[in-house]
Amino acid sequence: MSLEINEGEIFGLLGPNGAGKTSTLSAIEGLVRPDSGSIRIGDIDPGANPTAAKARMGVQLQSTSFQSDLTIREIVRLYAGLYGVPLTRAEIDDLLADIHLEEEVSKRFSQLSGGQQKRVSLLIATIHNPPLVLLDEPTAGLDPQARRQLWDRIERLRDTGRSILLTTHSMEEAQAVCQRVAIIDRGKLLTVDTPAGLIEKHKDDPRVRKVAHGQVTLDDVFIGLTGSELRD
Amino acid sequence: MLSGILTALLRADFTVQLRNGRALALALLPPLVLLYAQFAGKRGVQLGDPLFRVATSITFGIASIAILGYTATVARDREKGVFQRLRVSPAPTWTIMVSRLAVQLVSMLVMTVVVLLAAAAVEKVSLDPAAYLLTLLTVIFSSAVFLGVGQALVGLIKSTDTINAVGRLVYLPLFGLGLFAHSEIFGTTFETISRWSPAGAVSTLLGGAMHPAAWNAETWEALLASVLYSAVFAGVGIRWFQWSTR
Repeated sequence: MSLEINEGEIFGLLGPNGAGKTSTLSAIEGLVRPDSGSIRIGDIDPGANPTAAKARMGVQLQSTSFQSDLTIREIVRLYAGLYGVPLTRAEIDDLLADIHLEEEVSKRFSQLSGGQQKRVSLLIATIHNPPLVLLDEPTAGLDPQARRQLWDRIERLRDTGRSILLTTHSMEEAQAVCQRVAIIDRGKLLTVDTPAGLIEKHKDDPRVRKVAHGQVTLDDVFIGLTGSELRD
Repeated sequence: MLSGILTALLRADFTVQLRNGRALALALLPPLVLLYAQFAGKRGVQLGDPLFRVATSITFGIASIAILGYTATVARDREKGVFQRLRVSPAPTWTIMVSRLAVQLVSMLVMTVVVLLAAAAVEKVSLDPAAYLLTLLTVIFSSAVFLGVGQALVGLIKSTDTINAVGRLVYLPLFGLGLFAHSEIFGTTFETISRWSPAGAVSTLLGGAMHPAAWNAETWEALLASVLYSAVFAGVGIRWFQWSTR
């Protein structure tokens, strides 16, 4: 698999369960060591200089949890400290108010709704203004309103020049927010292009035609290339 | 940058520890109850001299904090993904563990002070100022034995429920064996086994620290045994430790 994410771009990684989306992100994040190949964040090799690489990326894991006995304010203060961002209590409260959590500053993370948890996670992932943001299924389990709000936040991040790599199962999400999309399966890159470009490129592929109902959609391209069988 | 990371981690971990009523109870109640039991019971005198009985209570407290407290928090946070989230930050992994261990160590020192104060106030067992200082220094050293046991548990077992169950199973026999390190109640063979068990070695070491004038070859041997136990348990725990249960 060879991928390049440009500055100011939202890049989507699509794939069925077990395709290697989270493994790819984990390799970039430094949680797993790749068997072979290389990763560069700007001019930094995360394998050789993990601390510098981690300081340049913001991460939202698929299932994030924070220390259960800390309040939201304390969690933000902890991660601001880890990223070397000095924040006063008032500044932390302002940041939380910006994501509409001014009433929840003294609550525990587990007491928040799913959408609120995702907003806190995204705030913490970007608290140090990283040039690269990695989001692993950022809107999974959210209702349509919360999903739209999170898309807006992700697009605002993109508009400030950050590169965003996100994984998703949602074709709607890929089409709505991603400039380019890669479809991967079993650790291999199958195709990469803009959402519209993928449809155009694969609309005459027999595997895609076979699963299409009328006009070819991104969903059809995805199913056509990765197969219809259920994955665990 | 590194001091800022450690400061942030320590502040968070101490806050968590202070908010956790169960951890505080686990740190203070078992050694105080044992201290009272050893001095109140008619046969308590058969367990050794008063200093050794105080040392045994402190050993019990260290074992409780390390085997029940430390393993429980590490296992819980590992299962919830707290460590994975910390690992994708610039914090080096060793700072994450050093912060956790520092919190446990401070808990052990606080517990020791409380037990020593209780021993002095209630049981009239007091030490020289130098002996108090040496005892606290020895607690830092002794903590490595039981924190090593705790680390070995979380290193060898992934499931939080299993760790909690095994921790409870291991904790009482491990400590109970050391209770008779200076008692011939069950015969000299059992006394020897007890004396060289992890808890027995720590109790002997702490007993020596409480009475520095009586520090002898046996105390040095207990120190050596404690170092060996720490190295083996911590080695196993670090070698097989995984940051995630997935």
